[in-house]
Amino acid sequence: MKTSEVRVAVLLIEGTNCEDESVAYFRYLGANAEKVHLKQLTGDAPAELRRRLEDYDILMIPGGFAAGDYIRAGAIFAARMKRRIDRDLVEFVEAGKPVFGVCNGFQVLVELGLLPALGGTMTEMPEAVLAMNDSGHYECRPSFLRQENRGGCAFVRQVPRGRMLRVISAHAEGKIMFPRGIEKRVLKELKRNDQIVFRYVDDRGRYAGYPWCPSGAVDNIAALCNRDGNVFGIQPHPERCFFRYLHPDWTRTGGPEGLGDGSAIFASALSYVAERF
Amino acid sequence: MGDRYVRRPVPFLLHEITILNASDPDLAAVSRDLGLALSVDEMKRIQTHFTERGRNPTDVELQSLGQAWSEHCCYKSSKVFLKEFVFPIQTPDVIDRGDAGVMAFDAEHAYALRIESHNHPSAVVPYGGATTGIGGIIRDVLAMGAQPIALVDPLHFGPLDYPYDKLPRELKHPKYLFGGVVAGIRDYGNRLGIPTVAGCIEFDEGYLGNIVVNVGCVGFAKRSQLQRNRVREVGDVFVLCGGHTGRDGIHGVTFASVDLTKEAVGGWEAGAVQLGDPIMKEPLIHAVIESAQAGLLHGLKDLGGGGLSCVVGELALNGGFGAEVDLERVPLKQTGLAPWEIWVSESQERMMLVVPPENVEKVLRICELYDVPATPIGRVIPEKLCRVRYRGETVLEMDLEFYVSGPEYRRPTKAPSLSIKDAAIPPEPRDLRAVLMKLLKSPNIASKEYVIRQYDHEVRAATVIRPLQGVIGKQAHGDAAVLKPLVDSWRGLAVSVASSGGYTALDPYRGGMNAVEEVCRNLVAVGARPHALSNCLNFGNPEKPERLWSLREAIRGIGAAASALGVAIPSGNVSLYNETAEGPVLPTPAILGVGIVDDIRSCVTSDLKKNGDRLYLVGSTGIDLGGSEYYRLLRIEGGLPPDADLPSSKAAMSGLLRAIAEKDVAACHDLSHGGLAVAASEMALGGDIGARVRIPVSDLRFDVALFSESSGRWLVEVHRGREEQFLRTLAAVPVREIGRVGGTEVVFTRGTKSVRAALPELRRTWSGAIPDLVVVS
Repeated sequence: MKTSEVRVAVLLIEGTNCEDESVAYFRYLGANAEKVHLKQLTGDAPAELRRRLEDYDILMIPGGFAAGDYIRAGAIFAARMKRRIDRDLVEFVEAGKPVFGVCNGFQVLVELGLLPALGGTMTEMPEAVLAMNDSGHYECRPSFLRQENRGGCAFVRQVPRGRMLRVISAHAEGKIMFPRGIEKRVLKELKRNDQIVFRYVDDRGRYAGYPWCPSGAVDNIAALCNRDGNVFGIQPHPERCFFRYLHPDWTRTGGPEGLGDGSAIFASALSYVAERF
Repeated sequence: MGDRYVRRPVPFLLHEITILNASDPDLAAVSRDLGLALSVDEMKRIQTHFTERGRNPTDVELQSLGQAWSEHCCYKSSKVFLKEFVFPIQTPDVIDRGDAGVMAFDAEHAYALRIESHNHPSAVVPYGGATTGIGGIIRDVLAMGAQPIALVDPLHFGPLDYPYDKLPRELKHPKYLFGGVVAGIRDYGNRLGIPTVAGCIEFDEGYLGNIVVNVGCVGFAKRSQLQRNRVREVGDVFVLCGGHTGRDGIHGVTFASVDLTKEAVGGWEAGAVQLGDPIMKEPLIHAVIESAQAGLLHGLKDLGGGGLSCVVGELALNGGFGAEVDLERVPLKQTGLAPWEIWVSESQERMMLVVPPENVEKVLRICELYDVPATPIGRVIPEKLCRVRYRGETVLEMDLEFYVSGPEYRRPTKAPSLSIKDAAIPPEPRDLRAVLMKLLKSPNIASKEYVIRQYDHEVRAATVIRPLQGVIGKQAHGDAAVLKPLVDSWRGLAVSVASSGGYTALDPYRGGMNAVEEVCRNLVAVGARPHALSNCLNFGNPEKPERLWSLREAIRGIGAAASALGVAIPSGNVSLYNETAEGPVLPTPAILGVGIVDDIRSCVTSDLKKNGDRLYLVGSTGIDLGGSEYYRLLRIEGGLPPDADLPSSKAAMSGLLRAIAEKDVAACHDLSHGGLAVAASEMALGGDIGARVRIPVSDLRFDVALFSESSGRWLVEVHRGREEQFLRTLAAVPVREIGRVGGTEVVFTRGTKSVRAALPELRRTWSGAIPDLVVVS
């Protein structure tokens, strides 16, 4: 499939708010991307606006505060999806198509049970939680992430293992945690399955605490994928470093020209689809 | 009061108020009973109007006039000065002056800007007041058909460490107010997905009783999607869009147009503060922008102060027609509201769309996709009057000119009897290093990172220059943020704010001028050409001649600076009656400035870049210490604030902009609070590299050279090899080489004297000050 034939759905409900830039950047790389309201997938929109999930090749759930996130972050959006399109989602994932969650989208994927999904394609109950940051409030700051995936994840095909990326953290609930008591076992399994994709590091590539890891996430985990590597959730925003001129330090390092660190994640997903389908 | 309020025999609450033969005290009583905040003269004007019509007004009519004629809605005390000093400023590129000002961006695009206050509600209910303040300003920008793309928040509180035992009983502690306001801005702005990119936070005892919470917004639009705040044709339909209407936010504008007395506080708490809902606002923005982009609208306006009672009349009158509304169609939050309550409620998240009949279905369909309630409630009629029915009964019928135009006053002004004397300069303190450390620790100067990082300044992925600049993990304050609104164009918009309460209290003319000059200086520092301003004027009770004098003088200063620097002022807001039993607010003009960057690739930041680069001081330093942070530290109250030499500033600005465009400049920072010493320290902290600065012995006294706040100055790092070129470009401007980048210390020397501090200690002092005051560990 040519890149221009790759259809990307950037899904939104009320309170989603990173959809415009996400669509723009998929389009910038040549894909056929559009915003899709969840109601367009559930049949609740007028006939001419209805869409079918299966007609898309990539599903992205962008950042924001879906439905206000007044319960746990991502919980309401996930509940609405699960109630209406759970089978479509499972089919989409099992067909090997990429599902991409950024920030609130990562929280939604965890609430849906699509990540880490140790107990099946989509578990009935969430297996992890994105809890409140240790600071107790929202944190908007640049982060460094190191790619730690051994090759299974579709979203880092163009990001060599060990490479450090600049991204932007912007969340209140970004601290990934696993059920008490089985935490160690889960971590071991995630590593064995090659599901840990990015971890927070400091400016010299060392694992470090606050503010380098803005939330206090377990094991500095910033991004996970499912076992097949086609469902990917990342807490900081790669799209906010899509171009070099969006890098927080471009006036002192590297200049404004060209694609930025975050673009490789979008490009990886597109190349994965283009080659596979 | 029995026979003055006659209930009409209808199955809902509607009263006629018998004012035709009422005496002056009776009229005053009516104004008070109904919470109208109208003067006896204004009530008499209403009496005459209704006498001519041979009938008494209804409660709906009187309430409407209370809203429309409030200071908040019609600027009755300030308009005369704005007309004299601000409105005549002629600048190109102004496209519209409506709920927000609209300016040209490029041939196809425009941007909108406005700043306004939310002082009274935020003083009473800090969290809720701050949230609805953002909601309101976003709607003003949306009302021009523009997508909001940036928020700014100039905030002013009493000292965070103010002793509890000295705090008057009726006041809330600054720490509580600060926490609530910051959390409100954070939770509402972040949820909405509009980046908060600039602001300022000032602390002064002059804000103890009256906080100043201003909020500004910048929007962006294709010119083809811009909207006017008016109806276009007879038959146009009023479609009320967004949140339901309830009892929250009744009489907001009237309470905002009186002093913040104990009674007014009670009124706010009883329901004048509206309730914000960002998750209604967010889809409302989508629905309105999509309708505008599809060309379905004839006009648009937001429901803010005064609610429906203001929006319907203003839209109709601006278009030269009238309006007819069926009030029972308005979707309500609760039952039992009287018609007047529905008509004046300030419930949030509502917009009024003016739609030609053939497009109504299409607009409703767009709203439905986003689950945004939308209801046609009335239409445009040819007669210039407003007619409101409730369940068939006419509850309001008034001539629109009378209803909407409101009174306008030239109230008396009086200069304060004690003119401000220039305070004698104190002897030079022995330990200037200690002074520098104390200044860096002062909350007015110390790092605001604790607040800035709680606001999402990155969402929409268009912020190319951030509020914190420098080495990742070490950033320090920049002067302005820059947004790149279009993916396929390098053109950018720079956004900054400045406020000048300390200066304005000493000399309001200079205060107004300095606020404008400083915001322009900030824009220039990143490489942006100052283009448009929006001003928010926070002053005391205009019925007191000395307070009004200071407002007038500040407006005169703003006008003088804006016209000398060639920037437009297409919008603004005046907040008066910032006055409690403790006295008036520190008079504070706050300015939102927007600049144009031709190519964002040449933008510069404030952080020092490279060992060995030369540092230049642009502009001249004088003995300008009145209102300075240095004098605050020394507890010296008088003195004259800096004057602004506007022609010199303008020449320096154009020279610097050329040098930045030619890529001579590696870093640039404006000199403001704390003067040269603080600017150099911040630049070093952001770059995580030291600097040596030499003050010539022939020059000013050491402390004056370090801490004077003379306007029109920048500290500039020039790329090696570009020095001659830089000096040639700035040939007509006072420029002096003043030091070098390098080392791990910031060192200032004058002859044999020196002040030196290592970066880690500077950082600890500057970064730790505000968290130490507010974070409970």
